[in-house]
Amino acid sequence: MQRRLNKILFLLAMAAGVAFADPIPTEALTQGGLVMRDRQLRDIGLVMRGGRGGFIDIGYTYTPSSEQLQLKSKYGAHDGFAFRHHYGIFGSWVLDSISHLGFLTWFDRAGWDSQDFFFFPHYGDFAHISSAFTWGFSYTNTKYDVTAALGLQHQNLELASKRVFPNESDSLLFYWGHVRYKNVCIQGSFYRNTFQTLRLSLDLESRELYGGAGSGYKTYLPNLSATIYRRKNNDDDDNFVRLNLEQNLYKQILYADVAYDFPKGGFHSAILKYYPEGLSRLVGLEASCLRRNEIGGSRKLLWGGAVDIVILRLAYNSAFDYDNMFGAKGTFIAEIHLDLGSIGGKFFGRGAAKPTLMETSQKRVDLHKFMKTYSEQQKLNTTVDAQGNKVIEAKGIRYEKTGSSGTTSNEGGY
Amino acid sequence: MKYLRIFLCLVALSLTACMSHVWTDTTTRLQIENKTDVTILGLDIVSEDGTSVQSWIRDAIEPGEKSKVVEEDWVGTFKVRVRFDKWNGETEKRFSLCAILITDPDKKPKKVATNFADLPESEVIEELGYDCEKNGHSDETATYVKLTLDFEGGSQYLVVSEDENGKAVFKFR
Repeated sequence: MQRRLNKILFLLAMAAGVAFADPIPTEALTQGGLVMRDRQLRDIGLVMRGGRGGFIDIGYTYTPSSEQLQLKSKYGAHDGFAFRHHYGIFGSWVLDSISHLGFLTWFDRAGWDSQDFFFFPHYGDFAHISSAFTWGFSYTNTKYDVTAALGLQHQNLELASKRVFPNESDSLLFYWGHVRYKNVCIQGSFYRNTFQTLRLSLDLESRELYGGAGSGYKTYLPNLSATIYRRKNNDDDDNFVRLNLEQNLYKQILYADVAYDFPKGGFHSAILKYYPEGLSRLVGLEASCLRRNEIGGSRKLLWGGAVDIVILRLAYNSAFDYDNMFGAKGTFIAEIHLDLGSIGGKFFGRGAAKPTLMETSQKRVDLHKFMKTYSEQQKLNTTVDAQGNKVIEAKGIRYEKTGSSGTTSNEGGY
Repeated sequence: MKYLRIFLCLVALSLTACMSHVWTDTTTRLQIENKTDVTILGLDIVSEDGTSVQSWIRDAIEPGEKSKVVEEDWVGTFKVRVRFDKWNGETEKRFSLCAILITDPDKKPKKVATNFADLPESEVIEELGYDCEKNGHSDETATYVKLTLDFEGGSQYLVVSEDENGKAVFKFR
């Protein structure tokens, strides 16, 4: 009964999430390219913290209803699907014992179309589809603990309906660079001779994964980053700085993540994240608060949360989705994804401080053999005693009466 | 077992996108039937601020006639403008309204004429206007109803009629 009630409540919540969702504005879609490029570089920054091993991140947002994330244009609300497909892959080769050469590609395709798709869009009359592709090479020297990476970024506007979207420019020739020395790194992306973003990160938290401490005060040092964004507003400079602070609150399983904008904008978002121990951020729970900064001047707080279970992320009003899914809010967003990194046989989730408890091993379990032994054990009810000897217990003891009747019984029902 | 696997794969595939076009309409095939006694000059989608207009039905639909079926990508909730040749033959009233509009710019069209269309609750009338901006001359005026309609996609048949109070009624059938 309880379970059924829970199910009904869950379905109601889902229905409410779909029914009261707010449409996404066209302005958010035209900003999509900038958002994608910046997020890719942030991700790359996290992966370059190690600069060796490998990393894969692949994901697909799933919004089942065409009324879930409508498009808000000047004519009204259009039924359709907002989508975000992405992958990020980094692999490295060991050149000698201390040098690692890596190659990385990050790809995002996001936008809105009247139908959802995997590879071939419908290209509806009001679609906006754009993609960002970042690639490059990295070099890591473990003796001096340095990483240098550089590459290109291509932002491609695949389709933007002339009927509702303003003209926008894209470019295939952004370039970026990333330099890290121990836990300090500088990252920049450029277009011709002007910068697009410049980021300084101080990754002060001690991380066991990269040879740091596993506990103690050093793990409570903050991770700071400051990013200068170059923005234009009607040909006037509208640059701003975003400060990010990630702080370990308790044993590297509870974190706070705060973003703040200068000179105007102020508080952007705060996220409280819980990562169960031993799972290295592959499983997570987060509660977030974001201040919406709308053109209309509305600066309401948006409260939300998300659950991440290795391959499925379910979020409602989460700050990440607001920032990366065109201001999507008021609806449940499911993302089927996998992000997993590995360094020297240890696995970890993006941005994690400790590896997972699982390690690669060469042992293979022969399932047939295992099942056979298991079933035999079941049959014989074999147990192992304290000395390690197998003990077979028989069930159903027969008591035999030595009387004249000669009947047998295992009931013991005297 | 094999069939179960195939079935489960199909379920998974149909849940995860790219199959949605089987049941999701991305276009609306619209046809209008004119049951009023005036000519309908067309149907357009207009922007919220009224500055952009996208024509949908361009035919003039005589009383008792049907328009052609026109397929467009409008699926969702939009502001629609239905243009009429005239309404209730009230040309004189129309001229006087234009005069009011020009002499008193603060007075908005929706204030001066409210009894034009009678709509079900789900189809809220947004505004009714007599477009007198072009010099306010009688030959430049236009009579139209602006309303918000919900297009679900697929074939939709819009009936425009007139009730006993002389108001326009819009109904999907």
